[in-house]
Amino acid sequence: MAPAVVQNIASRFHRMSQSAADKDYSAREEEKQKLADWEANKKPLEPEEIHVDPQKKPVGHSSKVLRKEDFELIKTLGTGTFARVWLTKLANRKNGENNNKVFALKILRKVDVIRLKQVEHVRNERNVLAAVAGHPFITTMVASFQDTETLYMLLDYCPGGEVFSYLRRARRFNEPTSQFYAAEIVLILEFLHEQEGVAYRDLKPENILIDAEGHLKLVDFGFAKKIDNRETYTLCGTPEYLAPEVIRNTGHGTAVDWWAFGILIYEFLVGQPPFWDQNPMKIYEQIVEGKVRYPSAMSKDARDIIGGLCTVDVTKRLGNIKGGAGTVKKHPWFKNINWDELYHRKMQGPIVPHLKAPDDTRNFDEYDAEPQQKEPYTKEMQEKYDRMFADF
Amino acid sequence: MSLPSDYTNEIAALNREILKRPSGDILQTCFNFFARRLESQRAEFLLSQRHSSQPGMAESNFPGNNPFGATSTAPNQQPAMHSVAEEEEHDFQSPTASSFPPNVRGDASPGTVHASPNSNSTPGGTFGNFGFGPASSNRTNPPASVTAGAMAQQDSFPNNYNMNRRTSVSAESLAPASADDANWKAPSFPKTQDQINRLREAVSHNFLFSHLDDEQSAQVLGALQERKVPAKDVRVIVQGDAGDYFYVVESGNFDIYLSKTGKVESGPEGLGEKVASSGPGTSFGELALMYNAPRAATVVSTEPSILWQLDRITFRRILMDSAFQRRRMYESFLEEVPLLSSLTPYERSKIADALETVKYPAGSLIIREGDPGDKFYILESGEAEAVKRGREDKPLKTYKPGDYFGELALLDDKPRAASVRGKTEVKVATLGKDGFQRLLGPVESIMRRDDPRKLERSPDPLR
Ligand SMILES: Nc1ncnc2c1ncn2[C@@H]1O[C@H](COP(=O)(O)OP(=O)(O)OP(=O)(O)O)[C@@H](O)[C@H]1O
Ligand SMILES: [Mg+2]
Repeated sequence: MAPAVVQNIASRFHRMSQSAADKDYSAREEEKQKLADWEANKKPLEPEEIHVDPQKKPVGHSSKVLRKEDFELIKTLGTGTFARVWLTKLANRKNGENNNKVFALKILRKVDVIRLKQVEHVRNERNVLAAVAGHPFITTMVASFQDTETLYMLLDYCPGGEVFSYLRRARRFNEPTSQFYAAEIVLILEFLHEQEGVAYRDLKPENILIDAEGHLKLVDFGFAKKIDNRETYTLCGTPEYLAPEVIRNTGHGTAVDWWAFGILIYEFLVGQPPFWDQNPMKIYEQIVEGKVRYPSAMSKDARDIIGGLCTVDVTKRLGNIKGGAGTVKKHPWFKNINWDELYHRKMQGPIVPHLKAPDDTRNFDEYDAEPQQKEPYTKEMQEKYDRMFADF
Repeated sequence: MSLPSDYTNEIAALNREILKRPSGDILQTCFNFFARRLESQRAEFLLSQRHSSQPGMAESNFPGNNPFGATSTAPNQQPAMHSVAEEEEHDFQSPTASSFPPNVRGDASPGTVHASPNSNSTPGGTFGNFGFGPASSNRTNPPASVTAGAMAQQDSFPNNYNMNRRTSVSAESLAPASADDANWKAPSFPKTQDQINRLREAVSHNFLFSHLDDEQSAQVLGALQERKVPAKDVRVIVQGDAGDYFYVVESGNFDIYLSKTGKVESGPEGLGEKVASSGPGTSFGELALMYNAPRAATVVSTEPSILWQLDRITFRRILMDSAFQRRRMYESFLEEVPLLSSLTPYERSKIADALETVKYPAGSLIIREGDPGDKFYILESGEAEAVKRGREDKPLKTYKPGDYFGELALLDDKPRAASVRGKTEVKVATLGKDGFQRLLGPVESIMRRDDPRKLERSPDPLR
């Protein structure tokens, strides 16, 4: 072959890979622009817009082009059992205009997920978040992606921090505040149960965040599971919020969220949950017995709704009986709520965070830096488990 | 020069407000908006001040604007809660508090409890996963009900609540009839009748066991495995370790130690303080039957002893399998009832949830002719027959497992036209009309879904 020809082929090769890289680069830039555009409005979707294939929605898709390098990590917002959530910005944008676009990036290392036997839970988490992305009161997973060792979920940043922090600071919420937050939770549960067939299973003030406008965002779908009409058995949740049927292992479904919702209202109004002991077994014993004691001054309607929700017999539990969430909404304790206005975020929340800028983190605690020593994700583990993460 | 970022942030919020609520009076809207912002910002500031100077003394009213009223912050709108706030000053124990010292809260993973800046207690329940059986020191506490009654009168609430962020817990994933172990059977270790009786007595005070039916109970007792502790000074449980087994003491004796650091330290005092001891008929470590939490104390033998042990997966699996089988059986029975044939699978599983098991000795009357009908029955096991008064020798119908009777009671409460008597010992699953309606509404509307004539075709001899 003549040298000229060889050279020709070689340069063609070079041009080709060059253009592949270009294409990759422009795909990433295009995707980042979409993220920035979404962040600018954060427009919630209508129920019928949410219920479509996540790959076809503006939010919730699994991205094959995004990479860790596309994000600049600013500060840790929170850590869980094995995840770390960062405040993040889109990295190396050419024009400065998108530099104020911030997100929360939840990062999970595959080794930790496997070691803690949470593979199934993490898959559920991603799939449920993708399916529900766009709901006004659920943290929006804008996209998910992965690399060899790590899973990433890009979430909208909720700068108000946890309802938990406000509640502990205030000791307890007054009735209108409790009603407002509880009502937004009702809309979430109604949607999860009746539209998606999903049980959330970890309702508590720690998992409820406040967004920039003072509305709630539910986070941490680590235990959420699509169950439709079958019961499920794995024990999970938070001790004070576990439903009796979870403790007794007789099979549970979406009714566990209504139980936890009753505990939550009680904790809002009283400052601590109704069942408590230093010894967790004693908590469970009280839960299974199900006798709630109310402060004498608690309003009649509040007692009535808590009592209805915290009913041991699931066939009598408010929210699980005929009418579902609709029966909860009609309860007199919610008589001041206009449910349609509430869904469209037209009601004003009691706490609107005061922020200096979109990336203000004053409402979050300080966390220790990430440990340097990390367990490696070995070839063997990769071979054994990576297919489990294929659609992440 | 660019504008300050908190300014642009406020303006953006104002813009959203205007977009959401277009108004004719722009100035008034802007004025209201900023008045509200200012008020809420001042309130938040005050709240954080108060908090940092006097931890734990925050107000019962959360500042900020009232989400429902036209007027904003309305202090003391909630006199309701004040009496509680006052009583908080007294340091009450939880009415059912165990004998553990305050602030040893059982948290699943002590390592991950975060100190929140607004918590004034020391972070970290470090102990958990421990419970004494009925005969241990715990029993010397006044009975819970008495204390609880007194507490209710004073209307006070325990003040020693752990205010830290709570961590989630979860057990091994349990799925019924998963492909790999569809034929799972609970292990069964031989025991004498005497041993079984003693074991039954030992766990009878434990709420995890008191709800079991006979069959579950037999399986659980069978699965308890003997473990010989050959000498004194054997550590059966080590504080801080992963929790796996629950134990019942058959013979011998154990001392229980609590270390303040949450784990056993080196040195002669490393186990911590001795808090109780545990002899025959007592049990310990039952939190391990729920999920894997670090052990809350150390248990050491004081002489050669014998234990019975049970692991979490076996225990939960026994409960799950029997619940699962029962539900599937009920669902398939319900599928056979023509009156309910239009139920969706979801509705069927709700009804299966509500079915109650009742046992009758041989020869007993399940339904009495002439009584108002209020329940419907499915025969789970045994045999029964329908008879008319005066013609007891000529049964109208015989029922076998899976058969149902009295279902027309779901429609109305007309008197029963015949009696149903158990020929053998029988077990029935039953559901009342009110229970059915509570879950799914009137049966008529469900039947009307597919065939309005179904009513007439019903083969119930009780009519
Ligand atoms: N979208 C968000 N915006 C701001 N902060 C967030 C967001 N998502 C999560 N966080 C913070 O990070 C914390 C941990 O997140 P998350 O609960 O999802 O993690 P996890 O590992 O699943 O936790 P857990 O141990 O409770 O299961 C949250 O409690 C919250 O404070
Ligand atoms: Mg969480």
